[in-house]
Amino acid sequence: MTNDHGTRERLANFICAASGAQRVRIARLERMSGGAVQQNWALDAEATGGPHAGVHAWVLRMDAPATVAESLTRSEEFRVLQAMHDAQVLAPRPLWLCGDTAVAGSAFFIMERLPGVAAGHKVARDPALVPDRSRLARELATNLARIHSVQPHAALAFLRTMLARDDIAHYRAYLDTLEESYPVLEWGLRWCERNAPEREETTFIHRDYRTGNYLVDAGALAGVLDWEFAAFGNPLEDVGWLFAKCWRFGRDEYPVGGVAAAGDFIDEYEARSGRTVSPFALRYWQVMAHLRWAVIAMQQRERHRSGVEPSLELALTGHILSDLEHEILALTEAGAA
Amino acid sequence: MKNLPAGADLLAIARRTLISELRPLLGESARYTLAMVANAMAIAAREIEAGERPAREALARLDALFGVAARALTGAALHDALREHDRRLARDIRAGAFDEDGDRRRALIEHLRESVEARLRVSNPKGLEG
Repeated sequence: MTNDHGTRERLANFICAASGAQRVRIARLERMSGGAVQQNWALDAEATGGPHAGVHAWVLRMDAPATVAESLTRSEEFRVLQAMHDAQVLAPRPLWLCGDTAVAGSAFFIMERLPGVAAGHKVARDPALVPDRSRLARELATNLARIHSVQPHAALAFLRTMLARDDIAHYRAYLDTLEESYPVLEWGLRWCERNAPEREETTFIHRDYRTGNYLVDAGALAGVLDWEFAAFGNPLEDVGWLFAKCWRFGRDEYPVGGVAAAGDFIDEYEARSGRTVSPFALRYWQVMAHLRWAVIAMQQRERHRSGVEPSLELALTGHILSDLEHEILALTEAGAA
Repeated sequence: MKNLPAGADLLAIARRTLISELRPLLGESARYTLAMVANAMAIAAREIEAGERPAREALARLDALFGVAARALTGAALHDALREHDRRLARDIRAGAFDEDGDRRRALIEHLRESVEARLRVSNPKGLEG
């Protein structure tokens, strides 16, 4: 999408019709940073007439040129956000979905723009942003428990169900498409297979619930972003992902995403969800988190290598593989099978 | 520096120039990009410095693990042999051939750890400190 007069006019017409306004004036349309897979545009507009009359700060979210096979379509992500809004999860409120590619070049939706800072290295490293670490940990826990309170249901039938053994099979299938072999990842996958939980609960899961994907505003959790990997699965997968060393932005003294102590989060999550997070389950899902990140890092490296999207950032992402393997060995050698 | 291969030496001095002379001229966003460029150059220089040694050492460990007579290979032959070993290793691990505690399992873990550490020395030596 380009920010030209025609695009703005088509957008204004779409919003006018969708919101029931008499007139919509677009004051600002600007590409936001981040989002390698999706493009986010800051959209400031003023609506005249209708239920949305007034000045608004919105986000327009659309597919980027190179999409990742695993992620949801905009229309699916829109429905996920609606379900989260119904469950009182802190997340941007979805407004309108546009499937007509003539408007902006590809499908998009508009959601409210929440205040705050998301950038992981800032949230984890700037103490002024998180003056009360314990509070943020409890808010992250409460919110995650709400996300996990959503059970599989018909309106979200397009979501995949991914339990531990499904994850293992999925990652192995990916490794089998590659020319090179990855013995350390195979080791981690075998460990996960041998230690897989006997029985698993299945709930809605975010699958990218980590520092860098939530907004912090005035020291509080303002909302969770990036819902394109959502699925049904073991709720503890989200906990392992949030705790994984690869998402601590160098702040290993704070196991909860580099921002808070483990106990503050676990106590609150257990109290709110009624689940128990055993130390072994936490370790298990951290191993799985590193395996998953390793697979995604390889896919990103492949986007660069294949020439589809030459990018220094994607090329360097491939080089974090050895850090992930190092952590997988450290977590699995420490005992159990 | 004079002992480095010429390519690694060029990368090292280019990187230093980038950081000392160009970085101060840039804004925050461009500095972030520059840090990525500098990181890529450092990785490439370490890879050149390490040369074939990590691959030769991995081959020696895997030849021993699989009971193959030690070979002194270089270049494409070295990498082909290593790739063949890795393929077998991956298959065996997945099939559970190393599940049982014992010397073979311990030798495998030792090999995996040394391989990862050799790659970390190129990709991110700081990762070895933790």
